Amino acid sequence: MKEVPLFSRSEVVDRPAVTRIGGGSLGGKAAGLYLIQEEIIPLIDADEILGFSVGVPPMVVLGTDVFDRFMDDNKLWNLIASEPPDDHVALAFQRGEMPVEYVGDLWALIEGMTTPLAVRSSSRLEDDLDHPFAGVYATKMVPNNAFSADQRFCLLIEAIKFVWASTFFASARSAVAAAGKMPQDEKMAVILQEVVGQRAGDRFYPCVSGVGRTYNFYPSGAAQASDGVINLALGLGRTIVDGGRSWGFSPALPKAPPPFNSVGELLKNTQIRFWAVNMGPAEVPDPLRETEYLVEAGLADAEADGALRLLVSTYDAGSDRLDPGLGRHGPRALTFAPLVASRMIPFSDLMRQMLDASRKVLDQDVEIEFAVRLDRQHGLPADVGFLQVRPMRVVTEGIEVDEAVLDDPRVVIASTHVLGNGVQDGIRDVVFLDPDSFDPETTFEVAAELEGINRRLVAEGRPYILVGFGRWGTSDARQGIPVTWGQISGAKIIVEATLPEVNTDLSQGSHFFHNVLGFRILYLSVEHDGPRPIDWAWLRSCPRIPGTERVIHVRIDHPLEVRVDGRNMRGVILR
Amino acid sequence: MSQAVFNPFAAAQGQFDRIADLMGLDQSARDLLRRPIHEHHFAIPIRMDDRRVRIFDGFRIVHNDARGPAWGGVRFHPQETPDTLRALAMWMTWKTAIVNIPLGGSMGGVVCDPHDLSRWEQEALCRAWVRRLARDLGPERDVVAPDIMTHGRHMVWMLDEFEAVYGGHRPGAITGKPVYAGGSQGRAEAAGYGLVYTLREALKELSLAPDRAVASVQGFGTVGQHAIDLLIRIGGTVRSVACLDRSSHAPATVIRQGGVDLEELRTFADPFGSIDCEKAQSAGYEIKDGEAWLAEPVDILIPAALENQINDFNVQAVAPSVKLIVEGANGPTSETAEATLQARGVTVIPDLLANAGGVLCSYFEQIQAASNQYWTLAEVMSRLDHQLTSAFFEVGELSRTKGLTLRDAALVLGIDRVVSVSTDRGWV
Repeated sequence: MKEVPLFSRSEVVDRPAVTRIGGGSLGGKAAGLYLIQEEIIPLIDADEILGFSVGVPPMVVLGTDVFDRFMDDNKLWNLIASEPPDDHVALAFQRGEMPVEYVGDLWALIEGMTTPLAVRSSSRLEDDLDHPFAGVYATKMVPNNAFSADQRFCLLIEAIKFVWASTFFASARSAVAAAGKMPQDEKMAVILQEVVGQRAGDRFYPCVSGVGRTYNFYPSGAAQASDGVINLALGLGRTIVDGGRSWGFSPALPKAPPPFNSVGELLKNTQIRFWAVNMGPAEVPDPLRETEYLVEAGLADAEADGALRLLVSTYDAGSDRLDPGLGRHGPRALTFAPLVASRMIPFSDLMRQMLDASRKVLDQDVEIEFAVRLDRQHGLPADVGFLQVRPMRVVTEGIEVDEAVLDDPRVVIASTHVLGNGVQDGIRDVVFLDPDSFDPETTFEVAAELEGINRRLVAEGRPYILVGFGRWGTSDARQGIPVTWGQISGAKIIVEATLPEVNTDLSQGSHFFHNVLGFRILYLSVEHDGPRPIDWAWLRSCPRIPGTERVIHVRIDHPLEVRVDGRNMRGVILR
Repeated sequence: MSQAVFNPFAAAQGQFDRIADLMGLDQSARDLLRRPIHEHHFAIPIRMDDRRVRIFDGFRIVHNDARGPAWGGVRFHPQETPDTLRALAMWMTWKTAIVNIPLGGSMGGVVCDPHDLSRWEQEALCRAWVRRLARDLGPERDVVAPDIMTHGRHMVWMLDEFEAVYGGHRPGAITGKPVYAGGSQGRAEAAGYGLVYTLREALKELSLAPDRAVASVQGFGTVGQHAIDLLIRIGGTVRSVACLDRSSHAPATVIRQGGVDLEELRTFADPFGSIDCEKAQSAGYEIKDGEAWLAEPVDILIPAALENQINDFNVQAVAPSVKLIVEGANGPTSETAEATLQARGVTVIPDLLANAGGVLCSYFEQIQAASNQYWTLAEVMSRLDHQLTSAFFEVGELSRTKGLTLRDAALVLGIDRVVSVSTDRGWV
């Protein structure tokens, strides 16, 4: 593949889709985007997706040389060595001076541009198959709509510094340590990319964002694992990658009924809030906050914006069924039915083409991210921003776990809903939440306690089993534990249990899910009302490591035996 | 560093006449622009530390203020002459017009050698110089900035005296102040960094990657040091630096084949940019005479010291490998020497463009002073880079379309802008 061209001030308006400022590495994400631009998109047959225009949204990459210079000029390596708290890191980076040799290009870029920008991390380690740091580093959206170029420039610089600072936040440091690397091994390129979307009042967002995978770990109905899976959401993709509610379907069977037992269950489990770039004044200006320029809104807002016509179904209480579209009054459900099942709009064909082309170029299973700007009235023409491609680990070899083992008297945890393949025999530490004292209102506090335990165990070189409730890594604190990957990076086995009041599935589109696969974490899911509940009594009887309030850490005098058979969907933890 | 019998003002007027012919300017425009609009020549009596009184010659020359308040440096130099200042004031008028900022051109100075003056004597000289000119200085009349052998501390003394005379705060009257005293971030770096911004664009046109470019620099003052700094940062190598020897005050060239270490050289230098050549030699540098920098086998020459340093007498010594000359000093290349270099295919980025970073940053300092704002270094440098690069593009475009040298294209652009405003004002 040819080298990414340098940004040129004489071509600011008509510049190539991908250019760079500064030398060094482009990082994993930017390299993936260039691959999309140069090799994947040319494979997509435009005739089969008439009305859709697919491209990488215009972007400029700041190479890792710029990061290196910033770190050296401002003597930030010394600060990082002392492992300060996140806000100290962020503040020190905000105080640092940008290298003077690059600021002129940034000024020229921003002077001629007033569309919202995504300032995205693209680290050297990110998107590596063996160390997938998806979601570990920050992305900051900036509205970039101030009248004054000076102001736009300042906000851009703040955002770049924030993304650089996120390289050394505690969760990122833990993730790097868990991958066996030192903080100095990591270098951060930054992508400055136009956000795909449309403006409605003070909100700017795409009608549809999505994550697609060529392999579906939880196929339902007639769908096959190899058909892949698409998760869609309204608004910015943050909803999906942070593990929020999204709409999943097989691109091979876009009209297949959704995997819900009732319309009521569907209404309860579909997306009701979405993220947008806030084009109005920031409520609380705070350059140290990733979501400074984001705003969350509800479906009624999107309907008022005219964004829902092709995305929702409406509940008809009389017939207890959903009708595609906005044709009648009633509760709306984001089923994307008018779009996905349309004969006029080749959306599913588009999804298949994007996945097939990506798999062909990378020669392995892949995960992609995209955003779509639809004509809100007619659907087409539509612009599709191809936002990311990364390899995806699908382990097919491994061990077999016989069904009889699930009922072995030594079983502490048994599951018929697992991810991964493998055996772990040396683990003595278990970190778990007690179902009797768990309070869904305190999940942020739980995440903070987990971070402390994780940091200690990573430093001591002790892998551990993590047992909790709901969806790990979700941004919705009432659906599960809102940890980032770095906060539990030392866990080798993760168990997701349900409670009567916390009962959700792991989202396949999330960054968290990607990291579970990439780090070869063994993952078991256990339902509270299933045939083989967790042996909580035995776990409580194990010797405790004191020092935490909401999380229990026990260290057992002999190693536990963990076996997971992903092909047959069986997994056990034996004492 | 030969001065010979060169008269800078005669050179500046000759240059103007030639461009005026090229542009077909009418006589009134020529009469207005080939001389200053007003001059101050005055004696400055200073009681020295030994209690004796010594009289210094002081000057302020305003060439033109049609586009806005005059702007120009004040220099302390033993060889200062009114003609030098006249030429520099004229060039400043063109320079502010070329980079398209609403200022005119002026220049001032005192005939003295600060090396021989105590801190108290320098302060008294600064204050007395301002007292004599106070009525004609100020952000709406004539703005002062540092130049050769004057620095931020001198500017603070001048501002303090000006505000005492004026009776209120007027921070925009004097620029180049230290940041802690209301100055702008990047003032010290602006001229040197600005030079490298234009150099960088010229390298692109020459298809020469910065990391393969080798330079020789004359002058280790503020401009020279910061030009070396940024050139090294973008990957270039500086092989030699010509300067004054700190002890003998004689010109010398400090050379290291693999490239000089800027921080190391700074430890051998005094605040005026003279280098202790003995220490440099001990650190492994080769020491040659003051003209040797010209003959170094490099790609780029950066004269960043005084006027007329590349002239008929030494132009043949310029190494055949030189492709680019970037003028950090004012008027360092004589007209005939430039013609010789031009014939050899050497590109000369003229002082009017290459060293405009200083005046741009002073303009930024005025904006910050007027609006009571504070800009970060990144904001200052991004504007500086953007404005200089834009000016480089404009000059380059004119050069290509009209078949002019970069200097002539810059002069045409600048003079045309001054003539346009003068015409609209009814002056010509």
